Amino acid sequence: MSHGDRDHHAKIATGKGDPQCFKGTADGPPKFKVGQRVRIKNLPDIFYTRCQVYTRGAVGEVAVITHESPAPEDEAWGHVDKSEWFYIVRFKQKDLWPEYPAAFANDTLQTEFSERWLEPA
Amino acid sequence: MSSDTRDEVLRHLLAVVEIQPPVQQTGKAPYSWNITHEQFRAYTRSPHDVGGEVDVPVEWTEEHGEAWGYRAYVTTEVMAWRGVWCAEERRRMQNVDLGTTQYLGLPYYGRWLLAAARVLVEGRHCTLTELINKLDEVKKRHVTR
Amino acid sequence: MSKKHDHDHGHDHKAAPMVEEISDFEALEIAVRELAIEKGLFTAEDHRRFTEFAEQIGPTPAARMVAKAWLDPKFKQLLFTDVIEASKHVGVDYLKPTGFGTPSDYTDVRVLEDTPTLKHVVVCTLCSCYPRPILGFQPEWYRTPNYRRRLVRWPRQVLAEFGLSLPPEVEIRVEDSNQKCRFIVMPVRPKGTEGWTEDQLTAIVTRDCLIGVALPKPGVTTNVKLQVMHPPGQAH
Repeated sequence: MSHGDRDHHAKIATGKGDPQCFKGTADGPPKFKVGQRVRIKNLPDIFYTRCQVYTRGAVGEVAVITHESPAPEDEAWGHVDKSEWFYIVRFKQKDLWPEYPAAFANDTLQTEFSERWLEPA
Repeated sequence: MSSDTRDEVLRHLLAVVEIQPPVQQTGKAPYSWNITHEQFRAYTRSPHDVGGEVDVPVEWTEEHGEAWGYRAYVTTEVMAWRGVWCAEERRRMQNVDLGTTQYLGLPYYGRWLLAAARVLVEGRHCTLTELINKLDEVKKRHVTR
Repeated sequence: MSKKHDHDHGHDHKAAPMVEEISDFEALEIAVRELAIEKGLFTAEDHRRFTEFAEQIGPTPAARMVAKAWLDPKFKQLLFTDVIEASKHVGVDYLKPTGFGTPSDYTDVRVLEDTPTLKHVVVCTLCSCYPRPILGFQPEWYRTPNYRRRLVRWPRQVLAEFGLSLPPEVEIRVEDSNQKCRFIVMPVRPKGTEGWTEDQLTAIVTRDCLIGVALPKPGVTTNVKLQVMHPPGQAH
């Protein structure tokens, strides 16, 4: 686990923090913009995912571009050599749950995704 | 398509409630065609992914923690501090790898503790034999109830 | 049920030879810690230092950051642009005790600002992610599958169970904290607190207000009143 060099993370992150230590390590600028409509991809979730099933296929709006970090599906096995941009995406509750009361049409939910989970809507 | 996925997601959230361990009626594992797509997804889902599942109103409580649990928490964080693993590896082992039955059945810090034990062996810091012998030795110093 | 043994006993590297009753969990905890130390993965001193850190965390720093932000627009701006720097103003060095932060809590904290028409509430549906360095340990209910299943889908029902009912015009925004970002809620400063000091304001920003299941009220300095469960045999 986090094979080999047990000092690696301390070396890159001391004095900076995590995810600050991954700043500048993604392959390029963020692909999506704040305000952009995005759909959550339904990639196979074999073995591990932090992209909640309840969000799959839903369409929301990028609310915040947060930081760069290895995706959890990779970090969960200690792979930290690749980073992605992360986004907080906001959904209307009525778009997630068919029984959500129409009386509360303003209610929203937001959660965070690494870039691989998003596609333009 | 988006609406097909949403339909599938909503069926999944009902199906996970219905998953039960296979009853040994036939004495053999089911054929693949006995497992629906919803059941396959429910069986192979990450157990920690519970958002949107049906549950009932409860009386919320505060909990006075147990000392061994806080010690286990410290152990897992210190392991991450010293580079044995990172928090995400811990979450995978602790909240997903152990499977739904243990996930829903064990104490909260019990899962942290099992993950810490797991990484010792999985990360080849000790052999399972060493862990078994150490645990046996600790138990012999005490009487386990 | 047998008596629980003294928790100080467990901090020794090698336990004194005595026969007393412990649970399977206590036995495994000792075994894992001793084996890890024997294999040089960490030291007993490391464990002691992190224990000291964990024993002193609580919700006061986050409460004080909200109180300060209510009183001082410049601090509020700092809170929204650099929480790590803002934390120093309430005595929290977010990089402690490892030098790069606590491994499970990371160092990207976001403040969710309520308005009269927007109420935030936080959950981690996947586990129980929580900004421990400024908020302490999560309440047990926050960790339960029940809270994590239901808050994202039936937030108004769950909030009503905590005594919070809001009109339909107020947008309830659930924050599902599932990655490295951590969140605290900055509630609207309540009426009846005009002229209050920072200490007075801090006292009414409870942990439950910072999670989002309660609203701050003059005269209310405790969390939502719930039954407290104790393990058998353990004193208060």
